[in-house]
Amino acid sequence: MSSRRSRSRQSGSSRITDEQISDLVSKLQDLLPEARLRNNDRMPSSRVLQETCNYIRSLHREVDDLSERLSELLATSDMSSAQAAIIRSLLM
Amino acid sequence: MASTSSSAAVVEERESGRKRKRGGATGESEGAEEAQPSKWRTRRVHEIYSSKLLDAIRLVRSGSGSPASAAAGTAAAAAADPQSSRAVREAADRALAVSARGRTHWSRAILASHHRRLQAARRARLREPASPPLRHPTSPPGKGPKAPALARKAKVLGRLVPGCRKLPFPALLAEASDYIAALEMQVRAMTALAEVLSTVSASSSGTSSSPA
Repeated sequence: MSSRRSRSRQSGSSRITDEQISDLVSKLQDLLPEARLRNNDRMPSSRVLQETCNYIRSLHREVDDLSERLSELLATSDMSSAQAAIIRSLLM
Repeated sequence: MASTSSSAAVVEERESGRKRKRGGATGESEGAEEAQPSKWRTRRVHEIYSSKLLDAIRLVRSGSGSPASAAAGTAAAAAADPQSSRAVREAADRALAVSARGRTHWSRAILASHHRRLQAARRARLREPASPPLRHPTSPPGKGPKAPALARKAKVLGRLVPGCRKLPFPALLAEASDYIAALEMQVRAMTALAEVLSTVSASSSGTSSSPA
């Protein structure tokens, strides 16, 4: 791994080093489901970014599916405020 | 935050003291909690979000009552029409952004775009000239990835996370971490709500005819 000095163009703020970036990348890697399974030491940054994009897309899809399911459930049921209170307490 | 049952609020207060670190977050104080993406794993934020989510989607239902479904007909009442599904999605995203408490670009971007849309609709109704949409004025220079492949992927990532197209690379990575953690919580909360709702509606519709 080549160690390059960062050339920060931000005036007044601290230099952003390669180390900081690699730290952020590895934090991102830890969030990925794939990394949790295999307990990878280090994936290359491009792979981490790729998997991150894929994961965000799959989370978006899940949220879309859940939104559809929720809107179906809401359409078929009439929710009084008493029922809402019950549901709220069930969620807690 | 108005709550329909005060006892639930009291329970939440007690539990928040005990269970705030459920996700293994190292910081006790609010300050440390805010900075970590792991704040999205606490029970407290899950409960806060679930409550906001419930309120938000109830509004969707009463909002999209007659105009959208009248055209679809009564037969479509049981199916989700795409408009209400999208409205639920947007309401869920806004509730998520509110739960982020304004500390992240993505959350501010979600709320800002909703606000702009409301203003545009309001102006259209009042027939006032529309002001140009506000955009983040500068793209601040900062360290970017040197390899072109990385830069390409970073660009894709910037488009996936709301409001992060022009962020410098380190900030983009930080936003993406927080956004992923928030999305995971959103999925957990929406799943739980769907389970509760389907249980409630199944039991309320099945009481009269179910054999023992």
